Amino acid sequence: MTAKWMVIVLGGLAVLPCPSPAIAQTAGTAVVVSEKNRTREITLDELRKVFRGERRSWAVGMPIKLIVRDQGTPERVALLKLLGMSESEYKQYWIAQIFRGEAEAEPIALPSLGMQMEALTVFSGGITFVSAATVKPGMRVLKVDGHLPGDSGYPLH
Amino acid sequence: MAHIHKPLLGLLLFATTAFGQDAGSSDQETIRLLVQQVKELQQQVAALQAKSSGTPASAAPLSQPAEPQPDAAARAAELAEASLIMHEVHGIQWRGFGEVDYKVLDQRNQPGLGTFGFVPGSAGNFFTGDFDLFLSSKINDKASVLSEIVIGEGDAQTFNVDLERLLLKYEYDDHLKLSFGRYHTAIGYYNTAFHSGRWLQTTVNRPLIMEFAAEGGILPTQAVGVQAEGLIPSGKLGLQYILEYGSSDTVRPDIDGSGEIDDENNGNHINLGFYFRPDPVPGLQVGGSIYHDKISDIDFGPTARMSQSIGNAHVVYVAHGVEFLNEGFLIRHALEHSNLVFNNPAFYSQFSKRFGRIRPFFRYQYINANQKGSFEDVGLYYGPSFGARYDFDDNIAFKTQLDHTARKTRPDLNGLQMQLAFTF
Repeated sequence: MTAKWMVIVLGGLAVLPCPSPAIAQTAGTAVVVSEKNRTREITLDELRKVFRGERRSWAVGMPIKLIVRDQGTPERVALLKLLGMSESEYKQYWIAQIFRGEAEAEPIALPSLGMQMEALTVFSGGITFVSAATVKPGMRVLKVDGHLPGDSGYPLH
Repeated sequence: MAHIHKPLLGLLLFATTAFGQDAGSSDQETIRLLVQQVKELQQQVAALQAKSSGTPASAAPLSQPAEPQPDAAARAAELAEASLIMHEVHGIQWRGFGEVDYKVLDQRNQPGLGTFGFVPGSAGNFFTGDFDLFLSSKINDKASVLSEIVIGEGDAQTFNVDLERLLLKYEYDDHLKLSFGRYHTAIGYYNTAFHSGRWLQTTVNRPLIMEFAAEGGILPTQAVGVQAEGLIPSGKLGLQYILEYGSSDTVRPDIDGSGEIDDENNGNHINLGFYFRPDPVPGLQVGGSIYHDKISDIDFGPTARMSQSIGNAHVVYVAHGVEFLNEGFLIRHALEHSNLVFNNPAFYSQFSKRFGRIRPFFRYQYINANQKGSFEDVGLYYGPSFGARYDFDDNIAFKTQLDHTARKTRPDLNGLQMQLAFTF
């Protein structure tokens, strides 16, 4: 394989999104879980509580594993907007949550979509935000307040 | 491209998953390895890009606006990995909290009162307060251990070690979470939200009503026993409960400088609390609790026992940079085999708003302890505090606070306290 092909392949694995045909043209931030998760939809209020660490298990009792993107990404911006926090407040909030015994660790912050996919494979109770245009097979997109990304009335942009 | 991409992707996912499972003594360890793998891949990509285009590795092209550039991603991955390494040792998460304080009063501190390292008889001095080490470890998906060890400063730069909390926690689901061990009692909000690390607090100190008993506080703030808490199905109301049964043993120094120590010899306590976190107003918590046990008071005889009931109601809002804490208490002591009842009402209210790195705050506190009862050293104690907290970064904060405290039988007390609080 030439160096050029290696660049494309490895770059794709690490940083390039691989659009799902069904949702490739939609806009906004998608909330995704593992395909093993039976959950199909969530309300915006529940989603906020999940990412604040106030809801820690799915309906079947499976622990929720929070997976977030690193600073500076659109998914992170959408998360902070949902929580009504600045980046600094978010960090302090999670230190406090751990100290109060309401969380074992800060949500995992990952630098790429490939890592998010991998994390959803490892943690069947995982939930994360991805750009709706980059949803991949293996990810289950949750309806938020009854809407999918791209629907009018979808609350996460 | 698709033909090459999919097998390689599958191979990589298989390899990383298998590696993660082999190495998986903990979730965090798995993630650390995954982050390391991606970092290495990104470095390879950057190197190959530089080789094929003849440009330096740092000048990687933009692939997608939604994804960080390889350099940025690599730096983020390094930071994430460093953070995990820094705060995890063999699956044990740790964090430390420390502080350095300077406090000055407009009159000499009462002899015999050396809480938090403030020198008895002094009008002003430096001290280090509490040095706090927090450890937690996940045992499995449902169980974990939490501990908080505090090295506290006493009189004349003496230090003592205190196991503030040690809890084995078991989380069945959101409706039932059990904890066994030494805990901070869930009387109201403050004692559950703020523990020993001052960095977490906006103000330099706790309101006196929520102060730890070892520092002169009047509530049974610590106990050993069992806690059950969880969510009660209530739709958007977000109703939660907490139930505690345990043994407290409150030993508190009188805060009037007499040098006396009161040992309450508490019997087993029961504490039940409910609070709402309504969905429509994120950050709002409204609730209350009722605590009951029996205590001794040597002033009423060596065998005298009193029934102690503590009611709490609170309204708290913490969101969008605003912190608004309001709690009211009624501590009722009833001497057994007697009609003697002593009521001790108290409240505090605290408001702060963050503006960038600075957070000005105001607090007002009030305690009206019955001077014929067990808290005769406190009596009527009230007054405002105001100041500001400045966050240098996400780990270091400087706080300054002015206090004016009116006391019924003694002169009003004015004080200035500055604190450098940090976490690491």
